[in-house]
Amino acid sequence: MKIEAIQFEQKASQRIYNDYMKRIKKATNSLSKDNQDDIYMEFNSHIFEAIQYKNNTNEIDSLLDIIEKLGAPEEVLKPLVADKKLEQATRTFNPVHVFRALILNFTNGISYVIFFILYLFLFGFVFLIFAKIFNPEHVGLFIKEHSASIFVLGMMSPEDKLHSNAVEILGNWFIPVMILSTFLFYFLITLLLKFKKSINQK
Amino acid sequence: MNETFVTNWKSQVKKGTLTFIILNVLKNNEYYGYELIEQIRNHTEIEIAEGTLYPLMNRLKTEDLVISKWVEQETGIPRKYYSLTPAGIATLSQMNVYWENLEKSIKKIIK
Repeated sequence: MKIEAIQFEQKASQRIYNDYMKRIKKATNSLSKDNQDDIYMEFNSHIFEAIQYKNNTNEIDSLLDIIEKLGAPEEVLKPLVADKKLEQATRTFNPVHVFRALILNFTNGISYVIFFILYLFLFGFVFLIFAKIFNPEHVGLFIKEHSASIFVLGMMSPEDKLHSNAVEILGNWFIPVMILSTFLFYFLITLLLKFKKSINQK
Repeated sequence: MNETFVTNWKSQVKKGTLTFIILNVLKNNEYYGYELIEQIRNHTEIEIAEGTLYPLMNRLKTEDLVISKWVEQETGIPRKYYSLTPAGIATLSQMNVYWENLEKSIKKIIK
């Protein structure tokens, strides 16, 4: 649908309107194009209808009054942008959207902070992949010899290995396994986030 | 009389019943945003912070209580009309029953 700008008779009104609409665009620019257009069009429609309704008063006075009642886009649109960003993030599984959605929802509950920390743990996995490349001997998944229990996932010095009878079990498989685990955990955490979101709405 | 207390209480009541009011306004008709605000104002004398209506309508949409559609206008500026979904109608009738019971109890208490 084409977005049509409202035309004003007074230059000053046009400038106030243009400025307000620019602020709406800026406040929503982290969303998808469709969502941005939808919010923009709805506020545009609100201003237009409100002006028709108040057609007796001076144009600029009505416009200022309408904008004041709508509120500052940066404030009013905050919850809307946070909700829509979370919808987009859990639909697309895109890490950039997930990151921005969590930042936007930080003040909406401790659970979002916990999710943020869970995602941060994934960076630990990525770090280990690089650590394995630079230090293949001492990085890996270590277990105690003659026992099946996992001992250390990470880095062990030669002395520690000797001291605790630890052996590395993944060898060259370490990097593929870590990559796969990163993706798997990312998928699971995001699924959990999606699930949490739908519980919130119930 | 503690006026601040009463003012705070009133604003909490308004905030708490806004969704209920919106759903009831949409019960028999579809409305676009500004018209919906006017309807709320006419029926209830509640002045809502107009910008906050839209985040609220989005929540009602994601909860599947309300749907919206864009309708082109001769003026060139389309309107977004909101109406209740079947789930919205069912939810509202439950809310109305609850409200009526609550109203009865409150009337008894304040007699």
